[in-house]
Amino acid sequence: MATDQDKARAVISDFLKRTDKGIDGWGDNTGLWGDGLELDSLEAAELSALLEDEFGSDPFSAGGDLPESVGDVLAFYTGAST
Amino acid sequence: MILLLEGAATSSPDREAVVTSEGSATYSELLDGARHIAAGLRRRGITRLAVVEPDAGWVLRLLAGAALAGAEPCQYQPDTDAGEFADHARALDHTYVVTRREDLRGSFEVVRPESLLAEPLDETLVPDDERAQPLMIRTTGTTGVPKAARHDWRVLGRTVGNVRPMPDQRWLLAYGPQQFAGVQVLLHVAASQATLVAPFPRQPKDGLEAILTQAVTCVSATPTFWRFLLAEARSRKAALPPLQQITLGGEASPGDLLEEIRATFPAAKVSQVYASTEFGSITSVRDGKPGIAVDSLYSESNPTSNVRVDDGELWVRAEAGMLGYAGESGESGESGESGAGDSGGWFRTGDLVEIVGDRAMFRGRENEVINVGGVKVHPLPVEDRITALGSVAAARIFGRPNKLTGAIVAAEIVPTGGVGGADIEGIRAEIKAAVADLPRAWQPRNVTFVDAIETKGGKTIRGMEDT
Repeated sequence: MATDQDKARAVISDFLKRTDKGIDGWGDNTGLWGDGLELDSLEAAELSALLEDEFGSDPFSAGGDLPESVGDVLAFYTGAST
Repeated sequence: MILLLEGAATSSPDREAVVTSEGSATYSELLDGARHIAAGLRRRGITRLAVVEPDAGWVLRLLAGAALAGAEPCQYQPDTDAGEFADHARALDHTYVVTRREDLRGSFEVVRPESLLAEPLDETLVPDDERAQPLMIRTTGTTGVPKAARHDWRVLGRTVGNVRPMPDQRWLLAYGPQQFAGVQVLLHVAASQATLVAPFPRQPKDGLEAILTQAVTCVSATPTFWRFLLAEARSRKAALPPLQQITLGGEASPGDLLEEIRATFPAAKVSQVYASTEFGSITSVRDGKPGIAVDSLYSESNPTSNVRVDDGELWVRAEAGMLGYAGESGESGESGESGAGDSGGWFRTGDLVEIVGDRAMFRGRENEVINVGGVKVHPLPVEDRITALGSVAAARIFGRPNKLTGAIVAAEIVPTGGVGGADIEGIRAEIKAAVADLPRAWQPRNVTFVDAIETKGGKTIRGMEDT
């Protein structure tokens, strides 16, 4: 039974494939910016839209600090499982 | 309208004037109906009326009857929501509503068209070109609440003054007769004493059915309508008959669509009309290419042109435009659509254009521009690249609000043959390649696949998605 965090990982994985980022071996500790996934603003906006489509909300639009790592994104979707 | 109808009824009384889902009528029958309706309006003291009627035969009788009585009709979308209609009728102060619908209630009196038709004639009512023949046309309103433009049939009639009788033509009514483009088709058909083929509903599949079964020879429709009609024909493997005249309007016509139309109907004359509810019919392009030829724009060497480009926007001079918006007292085009005219009678249109070589190419409406992190994105060039793909039947580009960049470019895609069975990931890859040379902010960041895209009045809805 997939948890919301599993589904969020799948969304990130699909996003990385579609954007041809060519980044392998990413994990919860991988950063979203700089030396991590190296997202720019347009890519982050694209990822936020995909997450919003999947969950109805996303950590980039929730207010407060932007997530800094994959783990921050996953932490936004805690609790409920399907 | 009443004068055109009278002329056609005099020269061709028994010619089939209109064919609808409910039946057909000759020109003499339409004229007779209009006279009875005029008498009914006069006896009831009705000088302004809302019309909510799907059948074009009834619409023609009502519009012509109102013109004869000097009353101002205003058509509403025939299947408009009852509550929404009540609000709009109140806003436009319509206290009489002519309709066969049973569910319309509000601060107005419902008048049945049958009761008007049953009225005895009033012999004092005769067509008089000296008297005002008002008509109110609500804008399509692809964004915001529709406005209403006040016109006069005598002014609108100027645009068909040179039309010769073409009684063998059969025109498909693909627009709603409540739209400005629909009114233009009604006028053209009456002026040419031709036959109007008017199915209802007026979806592309209904238009295709009419073309295949009603001996249609001429079609005027939006590019969006044409795209879906051709897709429907392909999916049904329908053998389309030759057409004489094809007219596109209401939106910019993409080059790939023009090519497809030319390939499908090689014998047809193809015209692109630039017109609006407010400014009327301004110009037409007949060379089969997208955009407007630069040498046809206004210049010192071409001072009679009614079209010019200023700071990336199309400006026009209206020769048969509206008298003003509802509620305004102006009588001679005092209000442009953007509310901004200059002393030479030129008005802003809100249509953005770019000069590319010898063409002025449409880039979309001013209010359709998507601001992606400060970069202004025009939807049409993106849409054109995607719809040129064989795997895509139709596409809609719009702005999706986004906290990080203000907006991102989003796309709704109708795969050729529908979503079921389509190679979604393959189409995604094709789209990505098709827009790869556009600036990154222009490239769709959110692509969804749908069976139909949202339209209004036959036009694709672009601009920003509601939050």
